[in-house]
Amino acid sequence: MKKKIGFVAAMTLVGLAILSTRFYEVDLPVWHFLGGGKGPDPATLHLRGEFVESNLGAAEGPVGSLTVRMIAQQFVFVPQCIVVPAGVPVHFRITSADAVHMLSFLGTDYGLKALPGVVTESSFTFDKPGKFKIPCHEFCGAGHYAMRGQLEVVPRDQFASLLPGERRTCEPR
Amino acid sequence: MSHVSRTTRLRKGLRCFETLALLFLAIPLLLSGRKSSAQSRNSEPPVRVSSNVAWTDETISFASSGNAFRGLLIARRCNRCHGEEGFSSVAAFPNLAGEDQLSFWKQMQDFRSGKRISPVMQGIGNGLTARDSADLAAYYSMLPTASDSQDNRAFPHVMQDPSRARIAIRLIVFGDGQRGIPPCQSCHGPVAYVKGAPPLATQNGGYLQEQLEHFANGYRTNDINVRMRSIARQLTEDEKTAVSEYYGAGLGPGVNPR
Repeated sequence: MKKKIGFVAAMTLVGLAILSTRFYEVDLPVWHFLGGGKGPDPATLHLRGEFVESNLGAAEGPVGSLTVRMIAQQFVFVPQCIVVPAGVPVHFRITSADAVHMLSFLGTDYGLKALPGVVTESSFTFDKPGKFKIPCHEFCGAGHYAMRGQLEVVPRDQFASLLPGERRTCEPR
Repeated sequence: MSHVSRTTRLRKGLRCFETLALLFLAIPLLLSGRKSSAQSRNSEPPVRVSSNVAWTDETISFASSGNAFRGLLIARRCNRCHGEEGFSSVAAFPNLAGEDQLSFWKQMQDFRSGKRISPVMQGIGNGLTARDSADLAAYYSMLPTASDSQDNRAFPHVMQDPSRARIAIRLIVFGDGQRGIPPCQSCHGPVAYVKGAPPLATQNGGYLQEQLEHFANGYRTNDINVRMRSIARQLTEDEKTAVSEYYGAGLGPGVNPR
Protein backbone atom coordinates (compact mmCIF):
# COMPACT_ATOMS: atom_id res chain seq x y z
CA MET A 1 0.00 0.00 0.00
CA LYS A 2 2.73 2.41 1.00
CA LYS A 3 4.65 1.47 -2.13
CA LYS A 4 1.59 2.22 -4.24
CA ILE A 5 1.08 5.64 -2.68
CA GLY A 6 4.74 6.40 -3.13
CA PHE A 7 4.55 5.38 -6.80
CA VAL A 8 1.48 7.53 -7.45
CA ALA A 9 3.10 10.48 -5.70
CA ALA A 10 6.26 10.06 -7.76
CA MET A 11 4.30 9.87 -11.01
CA THR A 12 2.32 12.99 -10.06
CA LEU A 13 5.56 14.81 -9.35
CA VAL A 14 6.98 13.77 -12.73
CA GLY A 15 3.78 14.87 -14.43
CA LEU A 16 3.87 18.21 -12.67
CA ALA A 17 7.51 18.67 -13.61
CA ILE A 18 6.73 18.00 -17.29
CA LEU A 19 3.70 20.30 -17.22
CA SER A 20 5.60 23.13 -15.56
CA THR A 21 8.44 22.97 -18.08
CA ARG A 22 5.92 22.88 -20.93
CA PHE A 23 4.15 25.92 -19.59
CA TYR A 24 7.39 27.74 -19.04
CA GLU A 25 8.39 27.03 -22.59
CA VAL A 26 5.09 27.84 -24.25
CA ASP A 27 3.84 30.49 -21.84
CA LEU A 28 0.27 30.08 -22.98
CA PRO A 29 -2.55 31.51 -20.93
CA VAL A 30 -4.84 28.72 -19.81
CA TRP A 31 -7.91 30.28 -21.45
CA HIS A 32 -6.52 29.35 -24.85
CA PHE A 33 -7.17 25.74 -23.94
CA LEU A 34 -10.56 26.49 -22.43
CA GLY A 35 -11.90 28.97 -24.97
CA GLY A 36 -9.96 28.17 -28.09
CA GLY A 37 -10.43 29.42 -31.64
CA LYS A 38 -10.29 33.08 -30.70
CA GLY A 39 -6.91 33.75 -32.24
CA PRO A 40 -6.32 35.13 -35.70
CA ASP A 41 -7.05 32.98 -38.75
CA PRO A 42 -3.66 31.82 -40.11
CA ALA A 43 -4.90 32.16 -43.70
CA THR A 44 -5.87 35.84 -43.44
CA LEU A 45 -3.09 37.23 -41.28
CA HIS A 46 -1.97 39.55 -44.09
CA LEU A 47 -5.43 41.02 -44.68
CA ARG A 48 -6.56 42.29 -41.29
CA GLY A 49 -5.72 42.36 -37.63
CA GLU A 50 -2.51 43.13 -35.81
CA PHE A 51 -0.29 40.91 -37.96
CA VAL A 52 -0.57 42.83 -41.25
CA GLU A 53 2.89 43.32 -42.69
CA SER A 54 3.00 47.05 -41.91
CA ASN A 55 2.47 46.34 -38.20
CA LEU A 56 5.24 43.76 -37.68
CA GLY A 57 8.35 44.58 -35.70
CA ALA A 58 8.99 46.50 -32.49
CA ALA A 59 6.25 48.97 -31.60
CA GLU A 60 6.37 51.42 -28.73
CA GLY A 61 3.21 51.28 -26.65
CA PRO A 62 2.06 53.73 -24.01
CA VAL A 63 4.38 54.40 -21.02
CA GLY A 64 7.52 53.17 -22.73
CA SER A 65 6.44 49.57 -23.11
CA LEU A 66 7.76 47.70 -26.10
CA THR A 67 5.81 45.11 -28.10
CA VAL A 68 7.40 42.93 -30.77
CA ARG A 69 5.02 41.31 -33.25
CA MET A 70 6.30 38.47 -35.40
CA ILE A 71 4.96 35.83 -37.76
CA ALA A 72 6.64 32.45 -38.07
CA GLN A 73 5.95 30.68 -41.33
CA GLN A 74 7.48 28.03 -43.59
CA PHE A 75 10.46 28.79 -43.71
CA VAL A 76 11.18 32.36 -42.66
CA PHE A 77 10.43 34.55 -39.68
CA VAL A 78 8.89 37.90 -40.46
CA PRO A 79 10.54 40.25 -39.74
CA GLN A 80 13.69 38.25 -40.15
CA CYS A 81 15.75 40.65 -38.05
CA ILE A 82 14.34 42.35 -34.96
CA VAL A 83 15.99 45.00 -32.82
CA VAL A 84 15.24 45.64 -29.13
CA PRO A 85 16.87 47.72 -26.36
CA ALA A 86 18.84 46.06 -23.56
CA GLY A 87 17.51 45.97 -20.02
CA VAL A 88 13.92 46.73 -20.97
CA PRO A 89 11.18 44.12 -20.76
CA VAL A 90 10.17 43.19 -24.27
CA HIS A 91 6.65 41.94 -24.82
CA PHE A 92 6.41 39.40 -27.64
CA ARG A 93 3.24 38.68 -29.58
CA ILE A 94 3.83 35.83 -31.98
CA THR A 95 1.69 33.68 -34.23
CA SER A 96 2.22 31.19 -37.02
CA ALA A 97 0.84 31.25 -40.56
CA ASP A 98 1.01 27.48 -41.13
CA ALA A 99 2.74 24.84 -39.01
CA VAL A 100 3.98 24.89 -35.41
CA HIS A 101 7.28 26.72 -35.09
CA MET A 102 9.45 27.66 -32.16
CA LEU A 103 11.80 30.57 -31.64
CA SER A 104 14.76 29.76 -29.45
CA PHE A 105 17.07 32.65 -28.75
CA LEU A 106 20.56 31.11 -28.89
CA GLY A 107 22.67 32.26 -25.96
CA THR A 108 19.72 32.75 -23.64
CA ASP A 109 17.44 30.26 -21.93
CA TYR A 110 14.43 31.77 -23.61
CA GLY A 111 12.13 30.22 -26.17
CA LEU A 112 8.71 30.83 -27.63
CA LYS A 113 6.36 28.57 -29.47
CA ALA A 114 4.41 29.89 -32.46
CA LEU A 115 1.13 28.09 -33.08
CA PRO A 116 -1.31 28.67 -35.95
CA GLY A 117 -4.48 30.37 -34.76
CA VAL A 118 -3.01 31.31 -31.39
CA VAL A 119 -1.18 34.45 -30.29
CA THR A 120 1.65 33.46 -27.98
CA GLU A 121 2.40 36.23 -25.52
CA SER A 122 5.45 36.49 -23.35
CA SER A 123 7.85 39.02 -21.88
CA PHE A 124 11.60 38.81 -21.58
CA THR A 125 14.39 41.20 -20.67
CA PHE A 126 17.66 40.93 -22.59
CA ASP A 127 20.36 42.16 -20.22
CA LYS A 128 23.39 42.57 -22.44
CA PRO A 129 23.67 44.02 -25.94
CA GLY A 130 24.56 41.55 -28.63
CA LYS A 131 23.32 39.57 -31.56
CA PHE A 132 21.32 36.41 -31.10
CA LYS A 133 20.41 33.86 -33.73
CA ILE A 134 16.83 32.64 -33.58
CA PRO A 135 16.71 29.17 -35.12
CA CYS A 136 13.36 27.46 -35.50
CA HIS A 137 13.30 24.83 -32.77
CA GLU A 138 10.30 22.78 -33.84
CA PHE A 139 10.40 20.66 -36.98
CA CYS A 140 8.16 22.51 -39.43
CA GLY A 141 8.92 20.99 -42.84
CA ALA A 142 11.51 20.51 -45.55
CA GLY A 143 13.31 23.83 -45.05
CA HIS A 144 13.20 23.73 -41.25
CA TYR A 145 16.95 23.54 -40.67
CA ALA A 146 17.60 26.73 -42.66
CA MET A 147 14.87 28.72 -40.91
CA ARG A 148 16.63 31.30 -38.86
CA GLY A 149 15.95 34.82 -37.67
CA GLN A 150 18.14 37.31 -35.92
CA LEU A 151 17.74 39.45 -32.81
CA GLU A 152 19.87 42.52 -32.20
CA VAL A 153 19.98 43.85 -28.66
CA VAL A 154 21.33 47.40 -28.64
CA PRO A 155 22.11 49.67 -25.66
CA ARG A 156 19.07 51.52 -24.41
CA ASP A 157 20.26 54.99 -25.36
CA GLN A 158 21.19 53.78 -28.82
CA PHE A 159 17.71 52.48 -29.41
CA ALA A 160 16.42 55.72 -30.80
CA SER A 161 12.91 56.58 -29.77
CA LEU A 162 10.44 55.41 -32.33
CA LEU A 163 8.74 57.91 -34.51
CA PRO A 164 5.02 57.70 -33.87
CA GLY A 165 3.51 55.22 -36.27
CA GLU A 166 6.76 53.43 -37.00
CA ARG A 167 7.65 49.79 -36.54
CA ARG A 168 11.27 49.02 -35.91
CA THR A 169 13.19 46.14 -37.52
CA CYS A 170 16.77 45.67 -38.68
CA GLU A 171 15.89 44.27 -42.10
CA PRO A 172 18.18 45.32 -44.92
CA ARG A 173 16.36 47.84 -47.12
CA MET B 1 -62.90 69.55 -45.52
CA SER B 2 -61.44 66.64 -47.32
CA HIS B 3 -59.32 69.01 -49.48
CA VAL B 4 -57.78 70.75 -46.41
CA SER B 5 -57.01 67.50 -44.67
CA ARG B 6 -55.31 66.21 -47.80
CA THR B 7 -52.98 69.26 -48.03
CA THR B 8 -52.10 69.06 -44.34
CA ARG B 9 -51.41 65.39 -44.76
CA LEU B 10 -49.22 66.18 -47.74
CA ARG B 11 -47.34 68.84 -45.79
CA LYS B 12 -46.84 66.49 -42.89
CA GLY B 13 -45.58 63.86 -45.28
CA LEU B 14 -43.16 66.33 -46.85
CA ARG B 15 -41.82 67.40 -43.49
CA CYS B 16 -41.44 63.78 -42.51
CA PHE B 17 -39.57 63.13 -45.76
CA GLU B 18 -37.32 66.15 -45.19
CA THR B 19 -36.33 65.08 -41.70
CA LEU B 20 -35.66 61.55 -42.89
CA ALA B 21 -33.54 62.80 -45.79
CA LEU B 22 -31.56 65.05 -43.47
CA LEU B 23 -30.98 62.15 -41.11
CA PHE B 24 -29.76 59.92 -43.93
CA LEU B 25 -27.42 62.66 -45.12
CA ALA B 26 -26.18 63.37 -41.61
CA ILE B 27 -25.40 59.79 -40.58
CA PRO B 28 -22.59 59.10 -43.08
CA LEU B 29 -21.19 62.59 -42.47
CA LEU B 30 -21.09 61.99 -38.72
CA LEU B 31 -19.54 58.56 -39.20
CA SER B 32 -16.86 59.85 -41.55
CA GLY B 33 -16.05 62.64 -39.12
CA ARG B 34 -15.63 60.15 -36.30
CA LYS B 35 -13.42 57.93 -38.45
CA SER B 36 -11.06 60.73 -39.47
CA SER B 37 -10.73 61.94 -35.88
CA ALA B 38 -9.91 58.39 -34.78
CA GLN B 39 -7.24 58.11 -37.45
CA SER B 40 -5.54 61.30 -36.41
CA ARG B 41 -5.59 60.40 -32.72
CA ASN B 42 -3.69 57.13 -32.71
CA SER B 43 -0.36 56.76 -34.44
CA GLU B 44 -0.85 53.44 -36.19
CA PRO B 45 1.08 53.04 -39.44
CA PRO B 46 -1.09 52.85 -42.55
CA VAL B 47 -2.15 49.25 -43.21
CA ARG B 48 -0.31 47.75 -46.15
CA VAL B 49 -1.87 44.63 -47.66
CA SER B 50 0.38 42.57 -49.91
CA SER B 51 -2.34 40.67 -51.75
CA ASN B 52 -6.12 40.45 -51.52
CA VAL B 53 -5.97 36.69 -52.02
CA ALA B 54 -6.01 34.56 -48.86
CA TRP B 55 -5.83 30.76 -48.89
CA THR B 56 -9.15 30.07 -47.25
CA ASP B 57 -10.96 26.83 -48.09
CA GLU B 58 -13.41 28.57 -50.45
CA THR B 59 -10.63 30.30 -52.38
CA ILE B 60 -8.65 27.09 -52.74
CA SER B 61 -11.63 25.09 -53.99
CA PHE B 62 -12.63 27.88 -56.40
CA ALA B 63 -9.14 28.36 -57.82
CA SER B 64 -8.55 24.65 -58.30
CA SER B 65 -11.89 23.76 -59.90
CA GLY B 66 -11.41 25.36 -63.33
CA ASN B 67 -12.60 23.90 -66.62
CA ALA B 68 -9.50 23.02 -68.62
CA PHE B 69 -11.32 22.92 -71.98
CA ARG B 70 -12.69 26.41 -71.52
CA GLY B 71 -9.18 27.38 -70.45
CA LEU B 72 -7.82 26.01 -73.72
CA LEU B 73 -10.13 28.31 -75.68
CA ILE B 74 -9.20 31.38 -73.63
CA ALA B 75 -5.50 30.50 -73.80
CA ARG B 76 -5.41 31.23 -77.53
CA ARG B 77 -5.07 34.89 -76.54
CA CYS B 78 -2.02 34.10 -74.40
CA ASN B 79 -0.17 32.08 -77.05
CA ARG B 80 1.57 34.98 -78.69
CA CYS B 81 3.66 35.85 -75.64
CA HIS B 82 3.60 32.69 -73.54
CA GLY B 83 4.03 30.20 -76.37
CA GLU B 84 1.64 27.73 -77.95
CA GLU B 85 2.66 24.96 -75.59
CA GLY B 86 3.24 27.22 -72.63
CA PHE B 87 6.93 27.83 -73.34
CA SER B 88 7.76 31.43 -74.03
CA SER B 89 10.53 32.35 -76.47
CA VAL B 90 11.13 35.76 -74.86
CA ALA B 91 13.12 35.83 -71.61
CA ALA B 92 10.92 38.47 -69.99
CA PHE B 93 7.76 36.34 -70.23
CA PRO B 94 7.28 33.36 -67.92
CA ASN B 95 6.70 29.80 -69.11
CA LEU B 96 3.21 28.70 -68.14
CA ALA B 97 3.37 24.97 -68.92
CA GLY B 98 2.90 22.90 -65.78
CA GLU B 99 2.15 26.01 -63.75
CA ASP B 100 0.66 25.44 -60.31
CA GLN B 101 -3.10 26.20 -60.32
CA LEU B 102 -3.24 28.17 -57.09
CA SER B 103 -0.14 30.15 -57.96
CA PHE B 104 -1.42 31.03 -61.45
CA TRP B 105 -4.83 32.08 -60.12
CA LYS B 106 -3.34 34.24 -57.38
CA GLN B 107 -1.04 36.08 -59.77
CA MET B 108 -3.96 36.82 -62.11
CA GLN B 109 -6.00 38.24 -59.23
CA ASP B 110 -3.06 40.34 -58.11
CA PHE B 111 -2.61 41.70 -61.64
CA ARG B 112 -6.28 42.65 -61.70
CA SER B 113 -6.20 44.38 -58.33
CA GLY B 114 -2.89 46.11 -59.09
CA LYS B 115 -1.13 44.39 -56.17
CA ARG B 116 1.39 43.06 -58.65
CA ILE B 117 2.44 45.83 -60.98
CA SER B 118 2.54 45.01 -64.66
CA PRO B 119 1.14 47.46 -67.24
CA VAL B 120 0.62 44.68 -69.79
CA MET B 121 -0.85 42.02 -67.54
CA GLN B 122 -3.13 44.41 -65.65
CA GLY B 123 -4.94 45.26 -68.86
CA ILE B 124 -5.25 41.60 -69.82
CA GLY B 125 -6.26 40.58 -66.31
CA ASN B 126 -9.05 43.17 -66.26
CA GLY B 127 -10.58 41.46 -69.29
CA LEU B 128 -10.76 38.12 -67.49
CA THR B 129 -13.07 37.15 -64.65
CA ALA B 130 -11.97 35.13 -61.64
CA ARG B 131 -13.67 32.11 -63.25
CA ASP B 132 -11.70 32.64 -66.49
CA SER B 133 -8.46 32.67 -64.50
CA ALA B 134 -9.40 29.43 -62.78
CA ASP B 135 -10.11 27.83 -66.19
CA LEU B 136 -6.79 29.04 -67.57
CA ALA B 137 -5.04 27.73 -64.47
CA ALA B 138 -6.59 24.31 -65.01
CA TYR B 139 -5.46 24.30 -68.65
CA TYR B 140 -1.87 25.43 -68.07
CA SER B 141 -1.38 23.07 -65.14
CA MET B 142 -2.19 20.19 -67.52
CA LEU B 143 0.38 21.12 -70.19
CA PRO B 144 3.42 18.81 -70.14
CA THR B 145 6.62 20.43 -68.91
CA ALA B 146 9.00 18.43 -71.09
CA SER B 147 7.54 17.43 -74.40
CA ASP B 148 10.02 15.36 -76.36
CA SER B 149 13.72 14.72 -76.33
CA GLN B 150 14.41 16.35 -79.72
CA ASP B 151 12.58 19.47 -78.72
CA ASN B 152 14.71 21.97 -76.85
CA ARG B 153 12.31 24.92 -76.93
CA ALA B 154 11.83 24.47 -73.20
CA PHE B 155 15.40 25.36 -72.29
CA PRO B 156 16.94 27.44 -75.05
CA HIS B 157 19.80 28.74 -72.90
CA VAL B 158 22.69 26.79 -71.49
CA MET B 159 24.46 27.86 -68.35
CA GLN B 160 26.98 30.57 -69.23
CA ASP B 161 29.36 30.09 -66.34
CA PRO B 162 29.54 26.50 -65.04
CA SER B 163 31.32 27.61 -61.86
CA ARG B 164 28.10 29.31 -60.83
CA ALA B 165 26.38 25.92 -60.81
CA ARG B 166 27.92 25.13 -57.42
CA ILE B 167 26.45 28.28 -55.88
CA ALA B 168 23.08 27.49 -57.41
CA ILE B 169 22.86 23.88 -56.31
CA ARG B 170 23.89 24.82 -52.78
CA LEU B 171 21.07 27.35 -52.52
CA ILE B 172 18.48 25.17 -54.24
CA VAL B 173 19.18 22.03 -52.23
CA PHE B 174 20.54 23.28 -48.91
CA GLY B 175 19.79 26.99 -48.67
CA ASP B 176 21.95 29.01 -46.33
CA GLY B 177 21.16 28.48 -42.67
CA GLN B 178 23.57 31.16 -41.48
CA ARG B 179 21.63 33.88 -43.25
CA GLY B 180 18.22 32.27 -42.85
CA ILE B 181 17.74 31.43 -46.52
CA PRO B 182 15.67 28.27 -46.87
CA PRO B 183 16.38 25.94 -49.82
CA CYS B 184 14.37 26.80 -52.96
CA GLN B 185 13.21 23.22 -53.36
CA SER B 186 11.50 23.12 -49.97
CA CYS B 187 8.73 25.41 -51.26
CA HIS B 188 9.03 25.39 -55.06
CA GLY B 189 9.30 21.62 -55.41
CA PRO B 190 10.03 18.87 -55.99
CA VAL B 191 10.71 18.19 -52.30
CA ALA B 192 7.71 20.13 -51.02
CA TYR B 193 5.30 22.84 -52.11
CA VAL B 194 3.67 25.55 -50.06
CA LYS B 195 0.38 27.06 -51.16
CA GLY B 196 0.85 29.59 -53.93
CA ALA B 197 4.47 28.74 -54.66
CA PRO B 198 5.02 28.01 -58.37
CA PRO B 199 7.23 25.12 -59.51
CA LEU B 200 10.49 26.51 -60.86
CA ALA B 201 11.96 23.49 -62.62
CA THR B 202 10.90 24.62 -66.11
CA GLN B 203 10.79 28.34 -65.59
CA ASN B 204 12.43 30.92 -67.81
CA GLY B 205 15.85 32.01 -66.46
CA GLY B 206 15.57 35.64 -67.50
CA TYR B 207 12.13 35.93 -65.95
CA LEU B 208 13.31 34.38 -62.67
CA GLN B 209 16.20 36.78 -62.35
CA GLU B 210 13.97 39.77 -63.01
CA GLN B 211 11.48 38.66 -60.37
CA LEU B 212 14.21 38.02 -57.77
CA GLU B 213 15.48 41.54 -58.36
CA HIS B 214 11.99 42.98 -58.11
CA PHE B 215 11.41 41.17 -54.82
CA ALA B 216 14.74 42.39 -53.47
CA ASN B 217 14.28 46.05 -54.39
CA GLY B 218 10.64 46.15 -53.31
CA TYR B 219 9.11 46.66 -56.76
CA ARG B 220 7.13 43.44 -56.43
CA THR B 221 5.36 43.17 -53.09
CA ASN B 222 2.52 40.69 -53.62
CA ASP B 223 4.03 37.79 -51.65
CA ILE B 224 1.86 36.93 -48.66
CA ASN B 225 3.55 37.72 -45.30
CA VAL B 226 6.79 39.06 -46.90
CA ARG B 227 8.06 35.57 -47.63
CA MET B 228 9.97 36.00 -50.91
CA ARG B 229 10.96 39.56 -50.15
CA SER B 230 12.83 38.59 -46.99
CA ILE B 231 14.65 35.83 -48.88
CA ALA B 232 15.49 37.82 -52.03
CA ARG B 233 16.84 40.74 -49.97
CA GLN B 234 19.55 38.49 -48.59
CA LEU B 235 20.73 37.09 -51.92
CA THR B 236 23.77 38.60 -53.59
CA GLU B 237 23.73 39.55 -57.29
CA ASP B 238 25.88 36.52 -58.07
CA GLU B 239 23.51 34.17 -56.28
CA LYS B 240 20.44 35.57 -58.05
CA THR B 241 22.11 35.08 -61.42
CA ALA B 242 23.34 31.61 -60.52
CA VAL B 243 19.96 30.31 -59.35
CA SER B 244 18.04 31.77 -62.31
CA GLU B 245 20.53 30.50 -64.87
CA TYR B 246 20.55 27.07 -63.29
CA TYR B 247 16.77 26.75 -63.40
CA GLY B 248 16.66 28.40 -66.82
CA ALA B 249 19.06 25.85 -68.28
CA GLY B 250 16.78 23.01 -67.16
CA LEU B 251 19.23 21.67 -64.59
CA GLY B 252 17.02 22.23 -61.56
CA PRO B 253 15.63 19.30 -59.60
CA GLY B 254 12.24 18.07 -60.75
CA VAL B 255 12.81 18.20 -64.49
CA ASN B 256 11.86 15.07 -66.38
CA PRO B 257 14.95 13.42 -67.86
CA ARG B 258 15.25 14.37 -71.50
